[in-house]
Formats: sequence, structure tokens, C-alpha cells
Amino acid sequence: MERLGTLEVKNLNKKYRSQNDDLLVLDDINLTVQPGEFISIIGSSGCGKTTFLRLVVGLEKGYEGEILLDGQRLNGPSLKRGVVFQDHRLLPWLSIEKNVGMGLKNPKSGESRKTIQEHLELVGLKGFEKHYPHQLSGGMSQRAAIARALVNRPEILLLDEPLGALDALTRMYMHQELERIWMKEDITMIMITHDVDEAIVLSDKIVVMSSRPGTIKKIIPVPLARPRDRAGYDFANIKEEVLAEFQLHTDHPFTYSI
Amino acid sequence: MSIAAKITIFIREKYHGFISFLVLFLIWSGVCHYKLISPDFLPTPATVGTAFVKVVSSGILGKSLGGSLIRIAEGFMIGTTLGFLLGAVMGVSRTLERLFAPLINALRQVPIIGWIPLIIIWCGIAETSKVTFIAIGAFFPILINTFEGIRSVSHSYVEVAQVFEYSRVKLLRKIVIPGALPSIVSGIRLSMGTSWLLVVWAEINTRSAYGIGDLLSSSREEHNPGLIIVCILVIGFVAFLINELFGHLEARLNTWKKSYR
Ligand SMILES: Nc1ncnc2c1ncn2[C@@H]1O[C@H](COP(=O)(O)OP(=O)(O)OP(=O)(O)O)[C@@H](O)[C@H]1O
Ligand SMILES: [Mg+2]
Repeated sequence: MERLGTLEVKNLNKKYRSQNDDLLVLDDINLTVQPGEFISIIGSSGCGKTTFLRLVVGLEKGYEGEILLDGQRLNGPSLKRGVVFQDHRLLPWLSIEKNVGMGLKNPKSGESRKTIQEHLELVGLKGFEKHYPHQLSGGMSQRAAIARALVNRPEILLLDEPLGALDALTRMYMHQELERIWMKEDITMIMITHDVDEAIVLSDKIVVMSSRPGTIKKIIPVPLARPRDRAGYDFANIKEEVLAEFQLHTDHPFTYSI
Repeated sequence: MSIAAKITIFIREKYHGFISFLVLFLIWSGVCHYKLISPDFLPTPATVGTAFVKVVSSGILGKSLGGSLIRIAEGFMIGTTLGFLLGAVMGVSRTLERLFAPLINALRQVPIIGWIPLIIIWCGIAETSKVTFIAIGAFFPILINTFEGIRSVSHSYVEVAQVFEYSRVKLLRKIVIPGALPSIVSGIRLSMGTSWLLVVWAEINTRSAYGIGDLLSSSREEHNPGLIIVCILVIGFVAFLINELFGHLEARLNTWKKSYR
């Protein structure tokens, strides 16, 4: 049986209406994402990455072209597509555990409590159940948002710079965790990032976008065995290939951010 | 924390406020002691104290306060319930907003006293008219605050709810109302304050059996300046209590809202 969860984007155009003229944000985007794939989208600020993600989530209406999930046109947001927003969007009046349980049908049941607890542990927020979002750091809020998105076991998880506010070490730890979750849950992940190393460590494919209007410049496959060795020769080659798209070159394997 | 400890903290935190009371009291005592003003104009603290004891022990103060509070409870309940409901539906629906907003904005420009002739024609001058008066006064603040509170809830949170496939009812219960709650509660506080003001005003102007305003009126008729001062102090004290109570509630609900101070 064929697996469900194939995402196909065909000839996608998105315009935003401003005062007098239309702003073309996405121009002829074509992308197929297989079930279970890990895709990273990388591109300079303002090139339309968030817009693309919002279209796939179903929050943005009014586009040309097609966004198909298993051949069906999208019809609004769904629990099957989880999101971690660029601004974490935790509800400020709910404690962290209640925020994480937001998407559960019956968050007070014993089973739900266990799930919430597991996910809080997963993102390293054990002991912060009763805290409120304003009592957390930016990175902790991002991790709580990841837990919230994962709790429902979505088929596709869309992440908009989910690790942007984390320090380098926590970020590496989260890479391991994300990879582990991705393998265990067997879900499709589409992640926006500015961190080239992060993209190479996690992705099957890296989508490089250019801006004004936002187009896909190149799709770079990452055919490396997991877990990936950041210091390896192949890793450095792929990094070179990605950075070349931004007219950047490297001969030493340091972290580059776009 | 023990009650005694709480009181100590309360006094310590508010003691700046108590100083002003104390200073005023000392000036008052001094003025009376040296007979700078005739006791016909300004009763002495002792006269006021005696009047207070008398009016408490005879039970008249209790009955008067009780009468006023029942009137408030009725008018306030009717006014805030209607105001909340209308504010909520206007907040949720653009169509209803367009439908009602011009009317509401026109009516709330009418000073509350401007309603009196109409209320008297419709409801006479007995209990019903006082309750109606208070209800109208309580209606507008809660309406405006509920409406504004709902509209201030960020669309970002609505999107989160959409992603979790919240129904319309769940969206209201879990996102819109909690987000608007701090504003709603300050609306309730404003409505409550207005109600207290209006009940005193209504009782002074159209007499009833028992009410704090009635007590104030009759003390003037009986030329009892001690009792007048007692009434003024009681009215002020009740207003203070109402404000404190709702202020605490607001502060508790607002813990998640970080303001600039
Ligand atoms: N609601 C909107 N109305 C009009 N223009 C918009 C809207 N949202 C985004 N844009 C415009 O679309 C372009 C792409 O925005 P988008 O948020 O998708 O960028 P991004 O690639 O996610 O950038 P960043 O990396 O900084 O998050 C920007 O030029 C922005 O000004
Ligand atoms: Mg973005």
C-alpha cells in the first residue's frame, strides 16, 4: 500500500495586495515532498519562506497553482499538519502544560497528562509545567511550541525557524532530538532555517530559495548516512554546494548562517 | 500566611495612603479644638463618632446600606449582563458591530442624568426607576470593555486555534474570552463604581425607605451635620472597598500581561 502524506506543490504563485500594486511573493514554486521526508528551506530574509509555510498549513488563502495532499487540494488548516510558528505563539494566559495540551481532545485525561509530560521531557522542560510563557526564555518558549505541535502526532510537521533562539549547544541537542522524533514517529518534516549546518545535519533535501520574487533556486539532496558527522568530508562538500548558492565559499568547516 | 500577617503587609504597603487620612484627621481635630470653625458648619470628631455609634446601634446604617446594596445588585446585574452580552456579540461579529455601533455610540454620549425624565415617565419614581437608572449606568462601561477586549485578542492565537481545528465555540471559550478577560474585568470594575455613584445619587433625589443616600438626605433635613459626615465617610469607604476588591481580581488576572511597569 502506498503511504499517505505526499505533498505536491505545482506552479504556486502568491501575491500580496498592497495599496496600489500587487507584490509577487512566491513565483512558480514546484516541490514534491514524499511521506517521511525531512526537507529544509533556506533563503534570505523576506524571500517568502514563511508565506510558503502558511500556504501549506492552509492559513493563507488566495493563491494560484495547486497545493495537493495525496492528490487532494488543501482545504484549510488541519490537525494532520502541525506548525511551530516563527514567533512561538504560546497562549500567555495558559501554563506551559496547558499550552502543550492545547491540541488534545481531552487534555485532563490520564493518558493526555502522560503524553504532555512525555513531550515536556522530550524538549527538556520538565519542572516547568506550571510556569507561564512570560516566565520562560525565548529558547524555552520555542521548545514548548515544538512540544505543543508534536503532541497530536501530525502527519506533516512544519517548523518556521524553530531553533532560532537557542544557543549552539542546546541547538545541537535539539537536532538529535528532532532527528530521533522524526525517525520514531515517521512523520514528514519541513523546516525553515538560516543555519546551513542544521539543514545538512537533518535534511534529506535542502531547498534553496532566492528572493524578490521568491523562487526555488536549487534543490540539493543530502545523501549522507545518519547520524551525520559534521566534521566529515562529504558534509563539507555539501556545505560548499549550499553556500555557493549564496556566493559564499568556505575552506574550513565553521558554522555559517544565512 | 496568617490573617494578622496579611493585615500587617497591607498596612505597610498602603501606609502612605493612611498618612494622608491621619493628617486630615489631625487638622480637623485641631480646627475643632481651637474652635476655628463653628461646630454648626464643621462637626467635631466626637460628634461624628457619637452619630456613628448611634446610627450603627439603632441598625439604621445597616438597613440603609442593605437597601442601597440590593438596589445596586439588581441594577448592576441587569446592566452588566446585557452590556456584556451585547459587547460580546459585537466583538465577535462584524455585522452586528456595524448594526449596533452607531446606536451605542450615540446613546452613550447622553449623560446618565439625561435619562432621568424618560425613566420617570416609564418607571415612576419608586424602586424600578432607581434600578433602571443603575442598570443604564452599568451597561456602557462593560459593553465597551468587552468589545474592545475581544478585538484586542491577537489574530496569531486564532490561527493557532485553527491549526488545532477548534470549533467556533471552543475558539470563543479557550481563546477569545480568556484573552479578553482582563479588559472585561476592568469593565466590571468601572460598572460597579458607576453603580455605587448612581445609587447614592438616585436615593438623594428620589426618596425610598432605606438607602445610604436617603440617610444622607434626611440627616440634612434634620440638620445633623455629624450624620452627614458619617454618610460621606461610609459612601467613600464602600467605594474604596469595591475598588480594592476588583483591583485585586484584576491584578490576579493580569499576571500574564506584562505592562510597562
Ligand atoms: N500579510 C502580508 N501582507 C503583505 N505582505 C506580506 C504579508 N506577509 C508577508 N508579506 C511580504 O512577503 C514577503 C515574504 O515574507 P515572509 O514572511 O514569507 O518572509 P520570510 O522568508 O519568512 O522571511 P524571514 O526569514 O525574515 O522570516 C515580504 O516581503 C513581506 O513583506
Ligand atoms: Mg519567516
